[in-house]
Amino acid sequence: MASDPQAHSQAHPLRLSVDIGGTFTDLVVEEGGLLRLFKAPTVPSDPVQGILDVIGVAAAAEGVGAGDFLARVASLAHATTRGLNAVLTGTAARTALLVTSGHPDVLLLREGGRRDPYDFTVPYPEPYVPRRLTLELPGRILSTGEELEPLDLAAVEAACDRLLELDVEAVAVCLLWATVNPAHELAVGEVLARRLGGIPFSLSHALNPSLREYRRASSTAIDASLKPLMSDYVAALTGRLREAGLAGRILMVTSMGGVVEVEDAAAAPIVTLNSGPSMAPVAGRAYAAADTGSDAVIIADAGGTTFDVTLVRRGEIPSTRTAWVGEEGTGHLTGLPSIDVKSAGAGGGSIAWVDSGGLLHVGPQSAGSQPGPACYGRGGTAATVTDAALVLGYLDAEHFSSGRMRLDVEAARRAIEHDVAVPLGLGLVEAASAVLDLTTEQMVHAIEEITLQQGIDPSAAVLVGGGGAAGLNAAAVAGRLGSPSLVMPAVGAALAAAGALMSDYTAVYSSTIPALTSAFDAERVNAGLAELLARGRAFAERMGGGAASIGLYAEARYPQQIWELEIPLRGERFAGADDVAGFVADFHDVHEEILGIRDDGSPVEVVSWGARVRVPLERAEGVLSARLESGTVATSRTAYVRGAGMVEVPVRPLSSLTPGLAERGPILIESPFTTIVVADASSVEIAPSGSLVITPAARTAGATPLPDLEESLR
Amino acid sequence: MTERSTAPANDGAQLAVLSHRLEAIVRRMANTLARSGRSGVLNTARDFSCCILTADGEVLTTGQSLPIHVMGGPDLQAEALREFFPVMRRGDAFLHNSPYHGNTHAADHAIMVPVVDRDGVHRFTVVAKAHQADCGNSVPTTYMASARDVYEEGALVFPVVRVQQDYADLDDILRMCEMRIRVPEQWRGDYLAIMGSARIGERALLELGEEVGWDVLDGFSRDWLDYSERRMEVTIRALPAGSTTKSTVHDPFPGVPDGVPIQATVTVLPEEGMIEVDLRDNPDCVPSGLNLSQATSRAAAFIGLFNSIDHTIPHNQGSFRRVRVLLRENCVVGIPRHPVSCSVATTNLSNRVGNLVQRAMAELGAGLGMAEVGTGMSPAEAVVSGIDRRAGATAFVNQIFTGTNGGAAGPHTDGWLTMDDLGSGGTLLLDSVEIDELKQPIVIHERRLAVDTEGAGHRRGAPGTIVEYGPIGGPIEAIYANDGSINPMAGARGGRAGAPSRQQKRTRDGSLVALDICGPEVIEVGERLVARTSGGGGYGDPATREPELVLADVREGWISERRAREVYLVQIRDGRIDQDATGQLRSAKEMWRNRG
Repeated sequence: MASDPQAHSQAHPLRLSVDIGGTFTDLVVEEGGLLRLFKAPTVPSDPVQGILDVIGVAAAAEGVGAGDFLARVASLAHATTRGLNAVLTGTAARTALLVTSGHPDVLLLREGGRRDPYDFTVPYPEPYVPRRLTLELPGRILSTGEELEPLDLAAVEAACDRLLELDVEAVAVCLLWATVNPAHELAVGEVLARRLGGIPFSLSHALNPSLREYRRASSTAIDASLKPLMSDYVAALTGRLREAGLAGRILMVTSMGGVVEVEDAAAAPIVTLNSGPSMAPVAGRAYAAADTGSDAVIIADAGGTTFDVTLVRRGEIPSTRTAWVGEEGTGHLTGLPSIDVKSAGAGGGSIAWVDSGGLLHVGPQSAGSQPGPACYGRGGTAATVTDAALVLGYLDAEHFSSGRMRLDVEAARRAIEHDVAVPLGLGLVEAASAVLDLTTEQMVHAIEEITLQQGIDPSAAVLVGGGGAAGLNAAAVAGRLGSPSLVMPAVGAALAAAGALMSDYTAVYSSTIPALTSAFDAERVNAGLAELLARGRAFAERMGGGAASIGLYAEARYPQQIWELEIPLRGERFAGADDVAGFVADFHDVHEEILGIRDDGSPVEVVSWGARVRVPLERAEGVLSARLESGTVATSRTAYVRGAGMVEVPVRPLSSLTPGLAERGPILIESPFTTIVVADASSVEIAPSGSLVITPAARTAGATPLPDLEESLR
Repeated sequence: MTERSTAPANDGAQLAVLSHRLEAIVRRMANTLARSGRSGVLNTARDFSCCILTADGEVLTTGQSLPIHVMGGPDLQAEALREFFPVMRRGDAFLHNSPYHGNTHAADHAIMVPVVDRDGVHRFTVVAKAHQADCGNSVPTTYMASARDVYEEGALVFPVVRVQQDYADLDDILRMCEMRIRVPEQWRGDYLAIMGSARIGERALLELGEEVGWDVLDGFSRDWLDYSERRMEVTIRALPAGSTTKSTVHDPFPGVPDGVPIQATVTVLPEEGMIEVDLRDNPDCVPSGLNLSQATSRAAAFIGLFNSIDHTIPHNQGSFRRVRVLLRENCVVGIPRHPVSCSVATTNLSNRVGNLVQRAMAELGAGLGMAEVGTGMSPAEAVVSGIDRRAGATAFVNQIFTGTNGGAAGPHTDGWLTMDDLGSGGTLLLDSVEIDELKQPIVIHERRLAVDTEGAGHRRGAPGTIVEYGPIGGPIEAIYANDGSINPMAGARGGRAGAPSRQQKRTRDGSLVALDICGPEVIEVGERLVARTSGGGGYGDPATREPELVLADVREGWISERRAREVYLVQIRDGRIDQDATGQLRSAKEMWRNRG
């Protein structure tokens, strides 16, 4: 226990969140609603050691031993990119795939398609499981669930012999129509359990009961391939944390923006695959609500090489079923619902260049952190976004990255002059400004792509900026989108880690019961919904949560459409025709909101039904605010303001701003992890949570209304 | 136009920003179309396109649209629009599917919307075009190979017909369609989707014009096309000068019992910065649905050419200025005259023409061009129709996309497995077996790549695919229009041809019988259609392919050990490369060549 008994008596239980990044392992400690951030180097060969190290740093800051510190911890939430990296680098387990006879190429053929019709430099993607590890099993179920051909059990036994011979470490089973009738998959599972001596396997109908065999097979193959690795990791993690003195719960962040117990993550490791970017929107939602009261939010998390965009729509974080691991189109579809994230390669290291026709480009090449931008002085000579920002006076050459680094202004000027200004025939400052403008445009592009998919009007949503590189463009991006306000939370770079402290236990259950509203089999649907509710309640009970909420939804479409929309259900069952009519009306509305048109005369087809369960973790009330070190004094420096050129602009440390007192731009706000550039007359104010809230000077002129456009499309 | 010439010039930075804005608008249009469409051909396969034209009708921004839709036709469609409707009014929308007025073929329904600003000035035209599941043909297919003319084809043809005025449907036209097009609800849903897409493009352009100013956008259009032309010119000036003629033959078809022999002459003129494609020395139009429309003749030539060079050059009227495509009236790959049928204009001969051009480019210099992409619409891509008796008795008609033709090898990569054809650029999606079995009363018994069917080469073509399917509960009719069964797809620069395609029926006793290259074919319960799609051609000598890549193909079951030895001259023993034997095989060949 804590060495100072007085401090201890006042202490709240601690909640921790750990995020293992490529360079640093971040730890956020929450105590009584206040957050503190700690960092320690990541240990790539032993990530658990990195976690123990950063816990040691936090304990030392408290002046206690790690054991005493950990004894006060109620829960530790943990996001890891371990599974994701294994999939991306092809270092997951040697996995076999068992499929329906006649269809060995389900992972090879994928769903067809190619991104750029004229680009023949990209090779055809490899299947996640090679053909030589794919085995066919005779037996066939039809779309109705009827058995066309019985499962050949002798062939399953023979397949087991072959699997042992092939020395596989995991097995995925995905048979056609197993979602409608799982009898064959279950029978295969029984044989595998008996014959393979503990080699882990995944069955598609149990993991991902959804239509479309490629996606289901891909989920199943990825899941199986991660089982050996993740169960080892979870065993090491829990073992060593318990040994170090942790008594509280150990949780893992999921791709759906929730947390689960580590044991559940080990049983279905694919649920944690995209845990990296899934927490930023959880935090963004909380800060946007606290600082502006808005429930429509765009979260832009900008690092050195990546730019991740996520959303909040009516207070909910929308999910997608088309999440890719790796490049869209040539990577692998996870096939499972995941928080919708759009990533663009527009970071500070992106290289600016001019092509043979005289057109400016930013990226896709990046100088990364090695050699990095020209101004880092590490041998890079190419002009980057960071160099442009330095030329424009937006970065402090003497105190970059909280004084950890000095930047070479001359090198940045040389690079921008040579690579951009001369080829474009522009002045140095104009050229640097053009680079930032184009970067802004590319970020807007990424944002529009996802808002479009999810039917959100960006000019009605609050923009939340996080990550080390967010400050350079965030205000410009907000201006371009016409955002009502921009929020830069004080947790900044640790937005994701903070989000893990605001999340809930979540689980999603789904069930394939096709239904048509014009011939609605309420009895069958209600039975299915009752079963989903029962599963949800069982989960809630297991998590020990009293205040669990279970949201039922349908995945529905107009007949013959192929992409479903998620429609929340108004109640727990369909009591009569009115309930069905209400559901149909809801569908028309959502279809119009997302796709711009509605077909009132058409019935609605439901493909599957789902339940989303949320069990709140015990936590402090209200939003979490960050504790900031008091900053240095206000200064000024020469920086670029559009229309005025290079002029003297005030520079203020974030911590020196007075809550409730608005400042007017142009102004540069320095926080420990980023510089927030406000290069026009926008107003800037600090919120009680510690966030910086920026109201753009001139919101772009709104949409030109067309006479009854929606009306005319009906 | 004087108004244009006074517009402010854009520097390379402003140009980049605005081009992104226009690309985003096209993407938005495409997203709406894909997600709200009803027919499988639209929403599953994504057989559609969206583009923005200048007020003068120049193709400005095409996004990632289907190449055959946008590479050589929308400007012709805009010309027809201007001719019939000289005054553009806000709120109008036009349906255009006439292959005699710039459209691809009658099954592609295009909606054209003029973008007119608040002062009544016509600024842009947006075009959204989607292939229909049915277009009112005399038989249930949108690719009617046997049509001797447009009357027998029977499609409803709309040569720029106004379907909306003041943003309201002109219902009389739509009622006509509903009387004639099979599965009218599905068509009506697709119509809504196409119209929604065009209107979303219109609204976005109006907002952009208000935001940045119309004169700035005019200046952008001019400068963007000039930029694209400059990129093209720089590229062509660096190519080797030369002229090559390549020929090929489309397989025999209804109305053309000896097939259709065609040729293309490609001439690169680096000093002029121009490329010329001459398609005039070819047969007259034929009494078959095979004839190309003017749009597809041009598009096919452009596609073959742009596949052969730097893919980052924008594909618009600016870069097109540097290409002369010479066409002749009443030519099977030229400019058809009504009432010739162009029912199959987007696939079969288009693919042959594009292939000739990219193969010709390959001969002009190492590192250029490509081999030939697989061809034809096999039974794996048939339009299937019948009565679905699984719940009641409902008529259905839809094109399925269950198996694709193999892609061509090029200087950099092996062929793309799901390429299918040049017109789609490989962008069409492949159906899910489960989705197909849900939508139609069929069972897909097999779908796998066909071993040893790739065109061998230093870079190899992609193999064909085998697809076997049959009906449940009642017979189905399958209409297809294959090619490549007799004349397979050629390789380039010493690469070998891909294996020919094949269509068969598995009868109730399990035996296979050969089928005609064109449907319709009625398949009874207990019978199955068996398709093997065509393999893509190889690029470069297969005896120069890296032995490790040959070994990988053997291990993954793409080619047999025997083929590795006989064609690639790589000896594989116990799963490893036998270096000595491989060396001997390859040097023996080298000796032969030196002697010869």
